[in-house]
Amino acid sequence: MRLFLTDTAIGAFAVDENGNVVLKVVAPNDINKLVERSLSIENDVPTEEFKKLVNDLITTYGKDLEVVVETEGYAKYLNELGLKTTLQFGNDVILRFRSELPKYAVESGFISSSEEYKNFVHMLALAVTRSKLRVVAQKRDLLAIQAIRAIDDIDKVFNLFASRLREWYSIHFPELDDLVKEHVDYARIVSEIGSREDINEKNLRKLGFSEGRAKRIISAAERSLGAELSEYDIEPIQTLANIMLELNNLRDGLTQYLSSLMKEVAPNITELVGPLLGARLLSLAGSLETLAKLPASTIQVLGAEKALFRALRTGGKPPKHGVIFQYPEIHKAPRWQRGKIARSLATKLAIAAKADYFTGRFIADKLKKALEERINEIKTLYAKPPPKTAKPERRRTQKTRK
Amino acid sequence: MAEAVRVYEYSPYKDVYVVELDDGSTRLATKNLVPGRRVYDEWLFKFGDVEYREWNTYRSKLAAALLKGIKELSICRGDKVLYLGAGSGTTASHVSDIVGLEGRVYAVEFAPRVMRELITVAEERINLIPILADARFPHRYRYLVETVDGIYCDVAQPEQASLVILNAKYFLKSGGYLYLAIKARSIDVTKEPDEIYRREIETLKRGGFEVIDVIHLDPFDKDHAMVYAKYVR
Repeated sequence: MRLFLTDTAIGAFAVDENGNVVLKVVAPNDINKLVERSLSIENDVPTEEFKKLVNDLITTYGKDLEVVVETEGYAKYLNELGLKTTLQFGNDVILRFRSELPKYAVESGFISSSEEYKNFVHMLALAVTRSKLRVVAQKRDLLAIQAIRAIDDIDKVFNLFASRLREWYSIHFPELDDLVKEHVDYARIVSEIGSREDINEKNLRKLGFSEGRAKRIISAAERSLGAELSEYDIEPIQTLANIMLELNNLRDGLTQYLSSLMKEVAPNITELVGPLLGARLLSLAGSLETLAKLPASTIQVLGAEKALFRALRTGGKPPKHGVIFQYPEIHKAPRWQRGKIARSLATKLAIAAKADYFTGRFIADKLKKALEERINEIKTLYAKPPPKTAKPERRRTQKTRK
Repeated sequence: MAEAVRVYEYSPYKDVYVVELDDGSTRLATKNLVPGRRVYDEWLFKFGDVEYREWNTYRSKLAAALLKGIKELSICRGDKVLYLGAGSGTTASHVSDIVGLEGRVYAVEFAPRVMRELITVAEERINLIPILADARFPHRYRYLVETVDGIYCDVAQPEQASLVILNAKYFLKSGGYLYLAIKARSIDVTKEPDEIYRREIETLKRGGFEVIDVIHLDPFDKDHAMVYAKYVR
């Protein structure tokens, strides 16, 4: 008996010369397992389903079976089992079978309708491609780390420049400092308008100020106590403002780059805490690998090393959170809930990091749901601050090293 | 932004439209499968209840081939197409527009860098199936791809024709069509095809393809020609 064997996205099939399916082993409809077996087929390694199919065939038809497969890896496997194997790709039988793959998917009960097959094949291809991209993405975590550090550098420099700009321009127009609190808006006024005499409603509105604010700025400019400056003196101030605006653009670009990079490098972490905080965690750990190997308790206080070691040294209270304090649910929560939420978030992050580094599976949706449930629980269980108790006596400290 | 004043099908091609703008110019377009979303920097036109997506003839070789009057556009609604060398999805997205929700485009691309862009296009288009693989080894994606109605190939590879033949053996139905973008340096390819180009056509013929039409894409694409062929098993 001559049979054509093929391993597909939905399972392994044995087809006879007339195109009838003789035997099939359907794969479990679980996305992570499907991705795994897809990669196995791509690497020309027979899958579990295929092995079971061959096994079943041998028990039914015996060893004098003649089989046809399409690739060397599969042919080798069958040869070693002692089956008469032919290697032939693009044969009519398999071609016909392949043209009706959606139909067989429904018939074998893998999915319920051919309409669903569309979603299935789309979803599987996306998942497989993503997981392959992730392999290529090795070392890209280092890029994300540099990008977030660059963003933090820019923030530092930007703030430094902003205070310099305010001080400098205040010689000319001191009242503006209080009127415009946003650094970027302030820099825009200096860069685009310059001298306070040139400030008018039209150009302020163009910069996006509301009518009320524009009027206040104009009236302040008219009554300003600042010194008159010539264009020659204002120009260098404007140059500084221009550079600030450029830095701001650079930051926006980097943020965008980082968020697409993080989705690729660490999709689970990113889904949980967003690209910026996710990258900061990577940066503090040093790489995705080290982050994946950290316990949740360490992740909880990453970025608060100073406070942690002080606490360990003196026997004082350890910090409740490190950089994960930036997670909105933590810093918005009342003080007595923060530690509990931080602990819960850190455990989920530890799982997410492990998934990102080791399996590449996407589990963040489940993690997020569990985290939200826990946060709600904390909020209801600990709605009121704990009663104040007398301060516990400090543990005797060991001699601190000088 | 210009407004569309008239839209009609670009005869004899099905599901390809000409959009006339109020400034008098015309654009090639397809019906947008995902209204409101752009793939590259193309324009979107609303006409009646339908949104059309400009098909840039300088960015897409298939659009250029249509404008230059290639014999037929065999790609039609409901087709399954194997697209080799999908790049960042410029042309592939228009093919996805044409085949519609009943059809499928298997978009094979080897370069991870462009695949990152392609995957964002594919996320929004349920009929666009991204495959990160080397088109020279079709057995690696045989588990996913069904038998297809046609192949569109635009890979910048010297062995294009043999690569197409291998893929056709795996996936192309008998009577299926092929659009192959070939790099050809000479201007009038039909009269003086250069050596590489002639060899590719020869290989195609030996591989079971019947070449129906060859169109040079000048001035939209100075270096390429589009080959239209049918496959006989």
